[in-house]
Amino acid sequence: MKQILKAAIAAVGLAALATGASAADWTPPGPIKLMIGFAAGGGADTQARLIAEELEAKLGWQFIPEQVTGKGGLNLAAAIKDQPNDGSAIGMVVTETLGYNMRAADAGMTPADFTAIITTAGFQMGIVSQSSKGWTSFADVVAAAKGGQDIRFGAMSPKLADLAYLLGKAQGVDFNIVTVKGGKDVMNGVVAGDMDLGFMAGIQAKGVASGDLVNLASALSAPLVQTPDAPKLSDLGVEFNADGYFAFIGPAGMPTEARDAIAAAIADTITTEGSKSNSLLTKAFGGPTIIAGDELQAMAEADYDAAGKLLAAASE
Amino acid sequence: MGVSDYIWMGIQAVFQGPEAFSILGLSISITIVMVLAGFMLGIVVGATPGLAGPMAMAISLPILISAFGFSPDALLPVMGFLIGVMKGATVGGAVPAILFNTPGTPDAYMTTLDGYPMTQAGQARKALKIAHFSSASGDTFSDVVLILCAPFLAVLVERYLDLPEKTALLILSMAFIASVIGGSVGKGIISMGLGLLAAYIGTGEDFYPRLSMGTQSLAQGFPVATAVLGVLVLGEVFKSLEDLWHHVRADDRPTEPRQSGDQRLHWADIRRISPYIARSAVIGTVIGALPGIGSTLAATLGYSAGARRHARKYPDRVKFGHGAPEGIAATEAANSSVSGANLIPVLSLGIPGNAAAVFLILATESIGGFNPGPSVFKFTREAINPELVAAFGLFTTMMVANAFNWTIGGAIMRAAGVMVRVPKHILLPIVLMLTLTAIYVQETRMQGIWFAIGFGVLGYLMRRVGMSPLPFVIAFILGGKLEETARQAFAATGGDAWFLFTSPMAALFMGLAVLFVAFSLRRPTEAEK
Repeated sequence: MKQILKAAIAAVGLAALATGASAADWTPPGPIKLMIGFAAGGGADTQARLIAEELEAKLGWQFIPEQVTGKGGLNLAAAIKDQPNDGSAIGMVVTETLGYNMRAADAGMTPADFTAIITTAGFQMGIVSQSSKGWTSFADVVAAAKGGQDIRFGAMSPKLADLAYLLGKAQGVDFNIVTVKGGKDVMNGVVAGDMDLGFMAGIQAKGVASGDLVNLASALSAPLVQTPDAPKLSDLGVEFNADGYFAFIGPAGMPTEARDAIAAAIADTITTEGSKSNSLLTKAFGGPTIIAGDELQAMAEADYDAAGKLLAAASE
Repeated sequence: MGVSDYIWMGIQAVFQGPEAFSILGLSISITIVMVLAGFMLGIVVGATPGLAGPMAMAISLPILISAFGFSPDALLPVMGFLIGVMKGATVGGAVPAILFNTPGTPDAYMTTLDGYPMTQAGQARKALKIAHFSSASGDTFSDVVLILCAPFLAVLVERYLDLPEKTALLILSMAFIASVIGGSVGKGIISMGLGLLAAYIGTGEDFYPRLSMGTQSLAQGFPVATAVLGVLVLGEVFKSLEDLWHHVRADDRPTEPRQSGDQRLHWADIRRISPYIARSAVIGTVIGALPGIGSTLAATLGYSAGARRHARKYPDRVKFGHGAPEGIAATEAANSSVSGANLIPVLSLGIPGNAAAVFLILATESIGGFNPGPSVFKFTREAINPELVAAFGLFTTMMVANAFNWTIGGAIMRAAGVMVRVPKHILLPIVLMLTLTAIYVQETRMQGIWFAIGFGVLGYLMRRVGMSPLPFVIAFILGGKLEETARQAFAATGGDAWFLFTSPMAALFMGLAVLFVAFSLRRPTEAEK
């Protein structure tokens, strides 16, 4: 009996040690395919590549970055779904992909088909125009629109286009909503004068700081870090918001140790002060925001369930 | 951040980029090495009948990308290599034209008319030197025009063209390309239509995949490399293989007549050919700046302009077509000056005008961080615009390639004469294998290969019915952009269905597009001439 007990304790201890050590000891089975759901060269793409670069240098892991863009991240989702789930394939999308987009597309995918790994940062989603327009608040935009001016509103996703529509509706004006591929295209459009204002998820930080751009409103449930005085969407009569995060995901059923090891590695590098990814996130997105593992999974599923309400509101 | 700062940063990006090796403590950047390698490969490829610069660019692009990766550091070495190939091929095409009466590239056909007679008269080396001098002059001139024009054109476009006008401009360029490439407007438009159709499979803004017929393999659309390499390279290989099948290979090895006499290029010779070079360089540059026309027409125009002047002014000298050095100069300066100017629409509008430009755009799209188009040339004051630095880096690589051309180009060219002896039945399978390998390297799934072979068959069929595959490829590249701009213009004008016709500028572009097609339809076909 004593012998058995001893053996049992040893076995349990070993098992505990094994699981305890496994997340820290986990190493990728080979090069990790890093799918990036954003156009090359933009802020999100740069972020993903910087993180990969830093993990390569620090841990000796090897990444093969690959652009899988289009359909609001759903192309990436469809592609990563059938990849091996041993940690050798991860992808970066926005939480909107698993929420609104997956719901709106109704393409037979749900957040349960994926393993949520970790977020890197929240959007500092502002509604931005060039300061040379002369607008200092969102009320100026509404006044201009009511004065008969055509207002072009740039949005980089269908969800944001819905929000822009609802915002116009709440304020009693019609915007010409122009959908483009990414935040960088909104910024280029606004700067080039092709659009009057648009959503920007953090890329505007530099321009706002230098005074070329102005945050007219926060599209979040919270004020913008950079322009805390700008009204929130809820102040402007819209009950929805553009809260969202950049998130790494993998195929469903990733082993917990692989998920947690990757999450820990990413969390470590983006919170290390002085690292390139940390300074990028701080500059553009108000600093890293980490939500990982089961908590993130639950959030994605809640977003997916809630998306129906926005869809219904926007199609009224 | 002034203009000069940007130029200086661009130059530094090339010379002080990642180091390849160092000689006596002087570090040589990888970009420079890649430009040189590309340039040498280009000459060899250009000198090989049956191969062309774009083919080499097509095959090397995926391999280069897998070697250099997708980081911003990869941009200049990869682009430098491709630009080197492009420039080398234009020089190299003259070699077999002069030595063996078989043009290495189609645009060197006119060079055979005077080059081969000179060879027969024992003046081969001199003819090569004249070709090299003219080609290098034309090329350099064209690059200078590019560097001066592209930024201003881009700024103008951004300042005066709104979304509807940009859409109309894309339609105009495509109409223009479809009507000028190849012998028939109808076939050009069909080719372009097919390209657009292929580009629209699986793409689009909606969440559900378009035209995918319910399959996951089509849902992401065709990868650009498979469509472009398939139609351009595999199609050509299939067609050449069939030609080989039909014509039992003639066994007479080309021979080079015995050479004698003074082979040096004298100052007097340069003075004599200079007016022809100057005239042809201007013709080639103007032609090159218009998307889609290409170097063969430039060579023809340069040659005939030169011939007219020659017959009028110097009736006593050797006539064009009988071994006149002026004839070589007029042709080579014209076809070489196309390459630089061809990048004007690429860099200022993002519109490729020929196959070489297609691969340059493809390279920038694959690597990322540099999106050819008006947004490149924003001279921001506070923060550095990395795309603009890259643009000046590209200009620098072009100038570096020119420097190689002037210094060692002639020698490599004379050595490349052996390439004409490579038998086609060995060359073609090698090209086929390299192409499929290159596609697999980029796509890493068998689907890519099947797509490419499918497009290869399409390219073969197009060639069989005398349809140029180039409008297909250009439409495939521009299709996404056209849809995007059109959707945005539609939305921006508040859902105005007539957005292409409401602003005078857009209406003008649309009118011109219709006129080009109508006018080209009236042009006599080759058969009627």
